[in-house]
Amino acid sequence: MDKANHKTYENELFKRLANSPALREHESVFSQYFKKPIWWMVQKLDKPLPITIKDVELHCSEYCAQEKKKEKCLGELYEALNKSKRSKKAEIFSCSLGLGGFSYPVVQGKKIYGYIVMCHAEKDIPQFIIDMFIRFVDTLVREIQKELELSKLYEAIRPRAIALSTVHTIHRLLTSTLELEELLPRIARLSLQVVRSNRCSIKLVDKKKRVLLPKTTVDLRKKSVKLKKVKVGMYAPGKAFKMGKVIMGRDYMAVPLIDTDVIGVITLYDKVDGTPFGAFDKEIMSTLGEQAVIAITNAMLYREQKRMTEGAIKSLTSILDIQGPGMHKPRAPFIKIALETGKIFRLSQEELKSLEYAYLLHDAGKAILPESILVKSSKLTRNEYRLIRELPIKGADIIRPLKTLRASVPMILHQRERFDGKGYPDKLKGNRIPLGARIISATSAFEAMLLKRSYQTRRSIPRAIAEIKRNSGTQFDPKVVDAFLKILSRRHIKSILRKAGYEI
Amino acid sequence: MKFEEILKNEIYRKVIKFFHENPHSIDTGRGVATWTHEDIDKVRTALKKLAGMGILNAHDTSSTTAYCYTRDKKMISMVEKLLNE
Repeated sequence: MDKANHKTYENELFKRLANSPALREHESVFSQYFKKPIWWMVQKLDKPLPITIKDVELHCSEYCAQEKKKEKCLGELYEALNKSKRSKKAEIFSCSLGLGGFSYPVVQGKKIYGYIVMCHAEKDIPQFIIDMFIRFVDTLVREIQKELELSKLYEAIRPRAIALSTVHTIHRLLTSTLELEELLPRIARLSLQVVRSNRCSIKLVDKKKRVLLPKTTVDLRKKSVKLKKVKVGMYAPGKAFKMGKVIMGRDYMAVPLIDTDVIGVITLYDKVDGTPFGAFDKEIMSTLGEQAVIAITNAMLYREQKRMTEGAIKSLTSILDIQGPGMHKPRAPFIKIALETGKIFRLSQEELKSLEYAYLLHDAGKAILPESILVKSSKLTRNEYRLIRELPIKGADIIRPLKTLRASVPMILHQRERFDGKGYPDKLKGNRIPLGARIISATSAFEAMLLKRSYQTRRSIPRAIAEIKRNSGTQFDPKVVDAFLKILSRRHIKSILRKAGYEI
Repeated sequence: MKFEEILKNEIYRKVIKFFHENPHSIDTGRGVATWTHEDIDKVRTALKKLAGMGILNAHDTSSTTAYCYTRDKKMISMVEKLLNE
């Protein structure tokens, strides 16, 4: 403990002891034995005792009325204190008035923290009383020391605990999204908050070109921001990237994002209070940077996975299209209608994506149907009808191996169920049919009615709508039908259908 | 509710004081309740209200909401003044 802190500690210990209710209580108990003694405390004897001691004056007013006698009284007290200081023990004394007292130095180890004095006792002071008092005060001082240690520990730990809680909260915020477009601005805003700066720029590396590409810049002063590329090795971000360490100036700090390699740099500028970036900023941003790089890497992997999934779906639909052009490629307007219907039911982004994939591939089962059945205009045989009924199962089986399409499988499997339970393959009823399947059921039926097929003539939109309404509650979920019709009434949907060649 | 009136409420005062003394902090309702030794539900209500007033900023995710101190210098000065009164 350095000198200044030690002094504070001594002062605080003495103050707590002097104000201790337990000490007051004990003094009161002892006082009953000695009949109205005077208790007082003094911390240091380095300076002379105060000229006036209020209680001394009050109780010894007759004697102390004379200045010389008052000085003699104080001198006797001072002598007793000095004696106890030297001996580091309680010292009994008698004053000029023949009254007793004792002086007790509050000692812990070799250190004296102050003195407790009792004077004006009208009886002799037996040693056992002194011993009892000493034991009590020692216990009290040890308790106060423990309290002070705990307070000190609390003061040291609390800011660290708060900082740790901040780091944990940031972790939760960063891991709550896998979308890079959402993640990077979030990282920037959090960085601005923890170091209280005005501007943050996140750059990710283009390894081939050896440049750092600006991905996000947030400036809370709302100045117009120019996003600049930075060559590796140039300026603070380029240097932080090249050297793999934090580069700091008065008004900027560049923190490299290090996974197995450096993947980018977070750069902060201009603290709000105008002070320079310091050690605390470096420490907290290094921690945040470690969390950010994991989140960014995960988001990039997720984006790559999504691209692969979409690529796989495109390939699959292309292959399926070979079976019968146009048969396996639902037109974009109907995907839009299905998705907007899904939004009315507040499907999450992930669920909407699964719905989109499911709609794109909902006719995948037709790939393994003989073409003769697909183009047949006359009534289907029993066997042919059985094969048709197996379409959703076959379609789901085709998609099932793709793990990323897992959520789409039930939508494809149950798209031919009926709300009244008379559908296939599982005769599911009502809300037991997955919502995505209910939406695909209505939308794909609507789409099918608008297309010319070998087994049906093309219908107009109003007629198709009428047919959907007619089957609401039996084939289709009435809530889905309501939502679906609401979407169809929207101007932009009508415009999309018109552009796709459908008469409204 | 005026800001001066808000500060008369013990919980609001503690929450504002916590962020004023720890401006770098970002924390959830649970965390702030820990630091202020107050009931978590009351703290969450206070945090929401204070975010609505602009004294705190809220970061929403699907699982939680985290709060941090405003960066508005005028507001910070006003808080400093009122806390010292």
